[in-house]
Amino acid sequence: MTDYKKTIGIEIHVELKTKTKIFSDSINGYGRTANSNVNVVDLGYPGTLPTLNVEVIRLALKAALILNCDINREMHFDRKNYFYPDLPKGYQITQFETPIGTDGYVEIEVNGDKKKIRIHDIHIEEDTCKSIHYKNHSFLDFNRAGVPLVEIVTEADMHSSEEAMAYVEKLRELFLYADISDCKIEEGSMRCDVNISVSKTEELGTRAEIKNIGSISNVGRAIEKEAERQIALLEKGEEIAFATYRYDEKNDATIMMRVKEAGNDYRYFPEPDIPFVLIDDTLIDDVKKTIPMLASERREKYMAFGISLLNANKIIQNRSLSNYLNKFLDSGIDLVIASNILLGDISFYLNKTGLDIESTKLTDEKFIDIVKRISSGELNSKVFKEILDELLEEDTSVEEIISRRGIKIINDPTELKTIIEKVIANNSASVNDYQNGNTRAIKFLMGQIMKETKGSANPELVNKLLEEELNK
Amino acid sequence: MSDMLTEKEVLHVARLARINLTDEEVMKYRIQLKQLLDDVDKIKDVKIDDDEQLITPIDEKAVLRSDEAGEMLEPEDIMKNVPVSNGNFVEVPVMINE
Amino acid sequence: MSKYLDLSIREINDLLKKKEIKPIDLVEEAFERIEENAELNAFITLDKEQALKTAKELEDREVDNVLFGIPIAIKDNIVTKDLRTTCASHILDNFIPIYDATVIKKIKEKNMIIIGKTNMDEFAMGSTSQTSYFGAPHNPWDTKKVAGGSSGGSASCISARLVPLALGSDTGGSIRQPASYCGIVGMKPTYGRVSRYGLIAFGSSLDQIGPMTRNVYENALLLNVLCGRDENDLTSSHRESEDFTRMIGEDISGMKIAVPNFFISDIVSDEVRANLEAVIELLKKRGAIIEYVDIDYIENAVTLYQIIAMGEASSNLARFDGVRYGYSVADPKGVDELYALTRGEGFGEEVKRRIMVGSYLLSGENAKTYYAKALQIRKAIRDSFLKTFEKYDLIIGPNATTTAYNLGEGLDDPLKTFLDDVLVIPVNMAGLPGMNVPMGFGKNHLPIGLQIIGNKFDEAKMYKLAAFIEKELNLDLDPREVR
Repeated sequence: MTDYKKTIGIEIHVELKTKTKIFSDSINGYGRTANSNVNVVDLGYPGTLPTLNVEVIRLALKAALILNCDINREMHFDRKNYFYPDLPKGYQITQFETPIGTDGYVEIEVNGDKKKIRIHDIHIEEDTCKSIHYKNHSFLDFNRAGVPLVEIVTEADMHSSEEAMAYVEKLRELFLYADISDCKIEEGSMRCDVNISVSKTEELGTRAEIKNIGSISNVGRAIEKEAERQIALLEKGEEIAFATYRYDEKNDATIMMRVKEAGNDYRYFPEPDIPFVLIDDTLIDDVKKTIPMLASERREKYMAFGISLLNANKIIQNRSLSNYLNKFLDSGIDLVIASNILLGDISFYLNKTGLDIESTKLTDEKFIDIVKRISSGELNSKVFKEILDELLEEDTSVEEIISRRGIKIINDPTELKTIIEKVIANNSASVNDYQNGNTRAIKFLMGQIMKETKGSANPELVNKLLEEELNK
Repeated sequence: MSDMLTEKEVLHVARLARINLTDEEVMKYRIQLKQLLDDVDKIKDVKIDDDEQLITPIDEKAVLRSDEAGEMLEPEDIMKNVPVSNGNFVEVPVMINE
Repeated sequence: MSKYLDLSIREINDLLKKKEIKPIDLVEEAFERIEENAELNAFITLDKEQALKTAKELEDREVDNVLFGIPIAIKDNIVTKDLRTTCASHILDNFIPIYDATVIKKIKEKNMIIIGKTNMDEFAMGSTSQTSYFGAPHNPWDTKKVAGGSSGGSASCISARLVPLALGSDTGGSIRQPASYCGIVGMKPTYGRVSRYGLIAFGSSLDQIGPMTRNVYENALLLNVLCGRDENDLTSSHRESEDFTRMIGEDISGMKIAVPNFFISDIVSDEVRANLEAVIELLKKRGAIIEYVDIDYIENAVTLYQIIAMGEASSNLARFDGVRYGYSVADPKGVDELYALTRGEGFGEEVKRRIMVGSYLLSGENAKTYYAKALQIRKAIRDSFLKTFEKYDLIIGPNATTTAYNLGEGLDDPLKTFLDDVLVIPVNMAGLPGMNVPMGFGKNHLPIGLQIIGNKFDEAKMYKLAAFIEKELNLDLDPREVR
């Protein structure tokens, strides 16, 4: 059974983050009252014509550039003709002959191995309307009709579910970071269709298309299940139907939706209502400037500053936190401490309040001040936690909050020495342990000192003085 | 060559166009569509070297719209023309391909 | 009965300004004339109530432009908010648009008064207006004859002097050919000159709205109002507005005019050719230079038209599916039945024929064999026309091979309607402006029209020649004198 090779190609539709629709100026918004974000163009009213949203071209161009594509400098649109109630005009305006980008690639990493997945093309098109089904009827909501999409089509370059998942995750990360799309698979702003076939030889097998898979992990599950199903059929000497499937999460199985008609007849022809769109150097340069540092580059930088892979990934998953951290890359502060407090107490606060870090009162100066104080020991984590709300909610400086609170960090060695001596005297067992080579005992003693000072001792200084005292 | 399309051929194009035809119409179109298609076939004999196409007879490039919202319709106004509506929704027979 | 509507628009404008008449006088007269000539069947929908109301409202307003208060008729494929727009089809016979076409907004801004919607071929598919769901309009010169098509109702109502102004649309001659049959002036402007927003699409890369009027000057006046860039139509041109009347009255001597050999070949009837030759002689006598030329692939234009117009139409008419507006079959068993029955019952014979052929021509490999090749030849035709205009000011020829023929003729011949338009279709292929100006009468006293073709955006020059011919020939173009 293991000598079957899987061959996988993926088509991903991504909704672009624009204010208005692609071919009309009605609002591109999710979850509003049914049929409230609609105008006559979206409804395909007789006599209406498309206009073309400049932001769609800019975002699609950005996506094509990130995917290392060749750009079609003079592109047009095409009509894809088919009848379906969710398609208001009886055709979808898409790009068939001149997709905005072709021949690109995305680099993925699976188990430490890097691999390039080739992108066949990325093209722009409009979304259909949303339908709800109940008993013998379907109900149409045209709010989604005309929402801008890009579709990214790979070559059949993937050969395992891990590769497929890594590709989808990578694409999501790229588009999220470039602010092209929300990429919410669960809400449908990113939709994955997977084409998969299995074969023992170089000749590819009959492929099945699994439509609209609802999460990245399900992409992996669906591929495994579909491959199992296909292999079982082939082993029995049966043929694989050229068909469309969906992945059913409950039953963990792929379920056939319809057999594909031989050569879907979409009667493509060039859209006469939209003249050629020119993509010149000025536009390309302009769009290039809007491409922020992408996730992989961020990860590399963070790790170079000593942040662990785990924490680097955690920060990258939250773009606004990562953007915030990026402001301090050249500030000289300790980025390990910075990332720790961002992921720790600050994230806790943000999750609790639902705020974005940029909307708190944590100015850049304040953040630098805090990190510096923590690294010098002037501020310890306990105190930081105590004053966090004030730091994030008030315009007051760190200095002011600390002095107002009467928090005094004991930096006076004489004062500390008195306390240290007292703790040593009261904990002779631990002192013995330490002197017998159990270095961990020092931690206990440290804790006792902090307790004694109610957490206001400078931990670095205490550590130094304690060691001196113990090694006397 | 026959001077009529077969019934099957006519029904195929009628299906492409989602048009129901009566038997009488099928008969009529077997002749008429054949006449039209034969006439259109003349294009096969036309010699042309230049492969550049004219999609639309205008020289200007598309001028794009800025991403700013305009006016939208009220659902009630939309529903006035909708043959079968249900609240704020447009209703159709269940879509089988879902 | 008053005869204000027999006056020129300039004269009416003077009377309005002097407050000697009111807009309502014009509207009432228009409806009297329409009612008296009901047998012409020129209108599908009349809007008397609103027209009278608008006229009343205009009484207190300043007469701020020459078209103020003038009644106008609109072809029924141009959408008018709150006024039924049918495209002469059963599938839209109860359709009330919820927006105005851009040209309608312009007309309303100039305070013209919309009288009603004119009859036409269903979805503008035809050359006689006989495919109308509402029956054919008649030719005022002989009511047994067709008015031409597809803008037959607009041509008929102008010719019969029911209203002074009308809008038509021209995909493959649908303004010029009925104008020729009915003896009026009709202009199909350069593609992109007038916004198509709100014109129910037939062949998107061919369609253009244009003015249909009693004379050349008034035609130019109406075009002045219609044109201009429209943000809602990406194919509308950014050209500055201009006064199309500005060259009217200029001397034509020295003008270089080309006559394509195809336009005087044996496809044209003797009487049409004789009239054209007479005009050519007149122009020569007045100092114009006439030469005979060949336009590449002009003889293939009808074939290209069949492929491109039917292909585009099959896609453009896919939206009529009974879901969001228009006719919808009751209680369909499923989506397929909803589509097939709605469209089977809603569309007429000619429309169904063209949609089916168009769908076929775009399907599978045919898209290459037919459609892509048609677009290549189309490019060559346009190039050849543009090259001709490097040497010549204008091109002339007839608009129709014959005069208007009998109602009922050619209904079962799917090719006749295309062959009727053999002389007018090339202009749509090239996206150039073309117009009709009457040049004489054939036997039975039926009008014959001259086609003038201009370089792109050269309408003003066309009006100059047309006005010259109109003045020199001084034809009596009022069919009421004949009847």
